[in-house]
Amino acid sequence: MRLIFKNLNVLRSTLNAISTSMEIKGIVESAGNNLPNLFDFSSFGVFWKEDLLLFLYQEESCPPSFTQEVLKNMVNVFSTLGEISLRVDQIKLQVEKKRLRPKQMVMDPRAGLKSHITLPLTVEGEILGCISLNSDQPNAFDAQDLQFFSVIGYQMAATLKHFQRFSSIQNIAIYDTLTGLYNRRYFEERLGIETQKAFYGGTPLSLVMVDIDHFKRVNDTFGHAGGDQVLCQTSSLLKGSIRKKDTVARYGGEEFILILPEANLDATFVIAERIRRLVENTPFEIGGTKIQLTISMGISNFPTHQARSKEELVKMADEALYEAKRGGRNKVCIFGEKLFREVKP
Amino acid sequence: MRTTPCKEKEGRGRSELILELYSNLLLELWEIVSALIGESILAFLFNLAIRKLEGKYPFLESLKVTEEGLFMDGLKEESQSLAPIEIHRGFQSLMNHLSQLFSTLADGVINKELFPKIFPKVKEAERIISQK
Repeated sequence: MRLIFKNLNVLRSTLNAISTSMEIKGIVESAGNNLPNLFDFSSFGVFWKEDLLLFLYQEESCPPSFTQEVLKNMVNVFSTLGEISLRVDQIKLQVEKKRLRPKQMVMDPRAGLKSHITLPLTVEGEILGCISLNSDQPNAFDAQDLQFFSVIGYQMAATLKHFQRFSSIQNIAIYDTLTGLYNRRYFEERLGIETQKAFYGGTPLSLVMVDIDHFKRVNDTFGHAGGDQVLCQTSSLLKGSIRKKDTVARYGGEEFILILPEANLDATFVIAERIRRLVENTPFEIGGTKIQLTISMGISNFPTHQARSKEELVKMADEALYEAKRGGRNKVCIFGEKLFREVKP
Repeated sequence: MRTTPCKEKEGRGRSELILELYSNLLLELWEIVSALIGESILAFLFNLAIRKLEGKYPFLESLKVTEEGLFMDGLKEESQSLAPIEIHRGFQSLMNHLSQLFSTLADGVINKELFPKIFPKVKEAERIISQK
């Protein structure tokens, strides 16, 4: 009876650790750290369907052949439960080894998988993955182990589902659904952070406002679906042309905006000009038809243009973009410079 | 002329008997296995097994399974017109499939708890079917 109470207490703290984890890896670690107090096992696995990711938390002396057997078994079980055919080579494996047994009980290098309990992680009839306890000993698990493990599985599934929902809400909140770029709301938030850093830290910050030239003609000729394709292709070009620390967002319609932290005016102009040329030289494909498009861009920079707020910085980039349009399009214009800079080929 | 309705009645009586027997068996299975792996996983496994078999035994589709349990009202209506052997085979396949799934998940842990309780009832169903 005392043993059951002890186990229930361990179970309670395991469940608590799982439910307060903030990411999948955290859930696995919380469970992995607590499970040795409840079960004798060689390896504990969590398979997460969405990313085809298998976390294995296992005894330090686990031989690679045992790991492979566990992997194979979990893939087989999940294929049966998920009614899909999964291959072992599709799985991304993350192994963490811990000492789970006393030194004198290290695993035989030829140890094989002798028993396991594998349970689906299900919520509301949907399968999210599976969890597994594995041992090199035959009949290592009994009915009570199964009961405890299923309670842990239930809590993990609920927490993982919560993550999934939260991340999809977060995605909707910050990403533009068509292009996959950040949306305007996120841009405003990011710009707030970057301007604070620039204004108080005295580091340069540039904004580049981008607009697709004659986009209305694309919509009129190819319809809105064609227009959407152009927006997506332009987004890919922009995304591929910026540095890791930069942000590119869809500002609205056919307008995009780039935040370039720590970029001075000259560097920003070089980047913008490179993007302009890239778009000019890239054939856009709409339903089998190839067309050429251009973009216009406006640049504002801190501290060059002495903006006192993020709103002012955006306004300056917008005015520069207007100048680029007025000057004939397919141009990069810097705020306050009436003459366009000479572009060296 | 009189023998056919009698046989039909007799067959329907046996169908009801088999259905009742398997209904009780499934409820017992639900009780035992849900205590081991929880209602959520068990409902998932039931639905997986039903999906697999409903092509061959369409009447199983009317067995509704949720985390709250098994709902057999539709099943009773659906199986009224079925021969006892058909009901027996359908349920037997369902039990076998579930048993395979339990074994895939937990080696013999679930079946060890289950077999002593359900095996005699499956035998009983077979006995009723084989009665002339």
